[in-house]
Amino acid sequence: MSTLILKRLGKIWLALILFFLYAPILVMAFMSFNDSQYYQLPFEFSLRWYQDLAGNSEIIAAATRSVLIALITTIIATTLGTAASVALFRFEFKGKRILQVLLFPPIAIPWLITGTAMLIFFFGIGLGRGTPSVIIGHVALALPYVIVVVTARLATFDATLEEAARSLGANSWTVTRRVTLPWITPGIIAGALFAFAVSFDQFVVSYFLSEPGDSTLPVLIYTAIRKGFTPEINAISTIIITISMAVMLIAARFSNFGGER
Amino acid sequence: MSNMLVKQDRLRIFGLLSPAYLWLTVAIFLPLSAMFYFSFLSEVPFGDAEWNFTTDNYRAFFETPTYAILLWKSIKLGLMVTLTSVLIGFPCAYVLAKTIQGRSREALFLLVILPFWSNSLVRIFSWAIVLRGNGVLDRTLNAILPFELDINLMFSTPAIVIGLVHSYLPYVILTAYLALQAIDDSLIDAARSMGAGKITILRRIILPLSLPGLLAGAVLIFVPVVGSFMEPRILGGRVGTYYGTVIEDQFVAVFNWPLGAALSFILLAVVLVILALASPILRKAQT
Amino acid sequence: MKRTFTLTTAIAALFAASIANADEIRVLNWQGYGTDADWATDAFTEATGHTVVHEYFNSEQEMLTKLRTNPGAYDVVLINASFTPQAQAEGLITSIDTAMIENFDDVSANMAENDDLNAGGALHGVPWTWGLTSFAINTNTFDEAPTSIEVFWDPDYNGRVSIRDDALEAVQFAAIATGQDINNIEDLDAIQVKLAELMPQIKTYWGSENDWNQFMAADDLDVATIWSGSASRSMAAGLPVQFVVPEEGAIGWLDGLSIPTSSTKQEAAHQFIDWMIDPEFYTRWAEDGAPASANAAAAAALPEDAFNRQVLGDPEVVARVQFQRPVSDETREAYLTMWQALKAAQ
Repeated sequence: MSTLILKRLGKIWLALILFFLYAPILVMAFMSFNDSQYYQLPFEFSLRWYQDLAGNSEIIAAATRSVLIALITTIIATTLGTAASVALFRFEFKGKRILQVLLFPPIAIPWLITGTAMLIFFFGIGLGRGTPSVIIGHVALALPYVIVVVTARLATFDATLEEAARSLGANSWTVTRRVTLPWITPGIIAGALFAFAVSFDQFVVSYFLSEPGDSTLPVLIYTAIRKGFTPEINAISTIIITISMAVMLIAARFSNFGGER
Repeated sequence: MSNMLVKQDRLRIFGLLSPAYLWLTVAIFLPLSAMFYFSFLSEVPFGDAEWNFTTDNYRAFFETPTYAILLWKSIKLGLMVTLTSVLIGFPCAYVLAKTIQGRSREALFLLVILPFWSNSLVRIFSWAIVLRGNGVLDRTLNAILPFELDINLMFSTPAIVIGLVHSYLPYVILTAYLALQAIDDSLIDAARSMGAGKITILRRIILPLSLPGLLAGAVLIFVPVVGSFMEPRILGGRVGTYYGTVIEDQFVAVFNWPLGAALSFILLAVVLVILALASPILRKAQT
Repeated sequence: MKRTFTLTTAIAALFAASIANADEIRVLNWQGYGTDADWATDAFTEATGHTVVHEYFNSEQEMLTKLRTNPGAYDVVLINASFTPQAQAEGLITSIDTAMIENFDDVSANMAENDDLNAGGALHGVPWTWGLTSFAINTNTFDEAPTSIEVFWDPDYNGRVSIRDDALEAVQFAAIATGQDINNIEDLDAIQVKLAELMPQIKTYWGSENDWNQFMAADDLDVATIWSGSASRSMAAGLPVQFVVPEEGAIGWLDGLSIPTSSTKQEAAHQFIDWMIDPEFYTRWAEDGAPASANAAAAAALPEDAFNRQVLGDPEVVARVQFQRPVSDETREAYLTMWQALKAAQ
């Protein structure tokens, strides 16, 4: 098989995967324009859910709050996580394996249990509930993901590059800033995207720790299922995805984090 | 040279690690220790409840066959989802890292993770609309194909696997991409110029060098899938009972946190044992 | 009707409210269960000056957890009567001063004197709504409604049946099918056998009203258990379903509104509960689909053809209902273990 055919096949495969990843997103968006409250087919076009949404200040406030919390979580978790990853990768020291293994409990133990544990503990130490507690919980849940992803990127790092820079007289701060950081930037960005996703979809911690009346979008969705949520949820989700997509494509247009080549 | 640097290094390690691990300690490790303590109690020590120390909660796992059966079922599900994700995600990451050039690569990289930013419950319900009989998939295929097909994947194990693979595929694509993208093209060119075939290059250069990323992705998929309960419950219907659902019940249906906590820590222990058993094999493959 | 929220009373109350402190009361309830309707809280705020904030729970266990870990956070909480004695015994809720609730006189005596709501020898929950857990059929499939619960085991509906994924409800459902007392099950083995026979018939379990409506709307199910209040809402929304109370009987439940001991706004809480059992509130709520009201005056204010009057107002139906009593933790565990084993075998 010629390389050209393989490349073409590869691109088709990528397209198929993207289609698979977006299929439910498309259905979600599609249903936000469907008249039926119970997601019934056949499809009947309607803008009623967007009209309802415009008058639903609760959902809009919750969505805004979720985005803000996710942004703060992303910034903190990415900074702390990257620092920890560099230490875990760069140095050999006693207890390193244990520190790495400790990243798994938050991922392996279902959020419900971790969330309940946080609830009891935060009350026990008098931290109570409120947005700061929610952010503390979100950052903690996002950290392991950031560390695992950034470390995976660091594992591909060629240490001789640093050596070379140092032998040319660069001090360690310069080495970090000019050599190490650019190299792991794609990893940091991936970690940040994960952190945002973890926070933005996290409901257990927010559910237990947010103040009544100050809930986040996932909490609103999860508590709505008993009675049933309406396609208004699809409408707000569609708006959020569209905005994120626009922001990301603009970011991709003006940056070069994908690598050097 | 290392002797002089040791102290400085130690400080640096401490400075880099302590913020993250301090945060984790306060928000996760200490709360989970409280849960671990609960798992050895007969009752949750609220108010004036009477309680005593016991290992009954751990013994229950061995005395009630249901738990072991479901844990095994969950592990199989975890392996199936991980394997599927790796098999379909790796080629995708490869194309993204090595075939696509320029700015469109950055855009595609971002597009892969974007579905993650939608609410998981909304995503699962959307899959339900796609998969059910007379749903989107059924209608679309019957509109395209010349013959009649009756597709109803809803409430089956394939539906659970589809939903979970969809949720976790971006992990492996991204971690594999990050590793693949770091492989120097000149290395591949050099191998090729020395007469190495495509298979040889894949087996001897690309796979070993991208293994750290692939493994990180696999672990990030396997670990949470074993404890998942939402996707199985909604997409699996009658066959959707897994270990995670049983743990959830101890908190939601009855007030038995000690048993729920014990079952969770057994899950954690089993997952860690599996990872530990797998690591020598994987490390060998890496060299 | 003793009191309606007419303009004059509202204005008078506004004056009173401007003198008294306007409080923010916090209500803990299921989402979308009456107390949080915008028109209802707006009318309450207009009449009393107190504002209402809601927090939700997704299971009774979680509601108890929230009460235990958040003293002072809530002023009104919805508690199913079968959980009221437990909440009372733990000291989580305080007794109700019925003198502060004008509409209380209209509450049906049998409910006001309910043993569980009067746990500890005093009223700890104001009877608010009640309803049945029975089943509904898909009217596209059935020409005539079945009269027996045995329809769940009918091979004609194999793979078209659903029950809720809840151990207690499953066991009590089977108790009715095997002719037992749901509150005092003597032959648990018979229940296990009956449920084991039911399992192959089931297409899926449902977890929430949302699931249920979607399954019914997509024609996935022919017959499924459901709460009467939810059934009335689904019918009001135009789904092809009909609620059935079979000859074997049905499970009855009663929801009460309670005030946490730790509440610092007891007076406002009493006022809110008073509004919640007001006939004016209830008739408006019933238009969207609501469970039956515990207030006899409110129930009588419904139109003749209302679901809650037609189905739940029929004395012959009520005679077949077995009301849920409290269940001990041990019994609950035993049911859960059995239910999980049955599910795991699938």
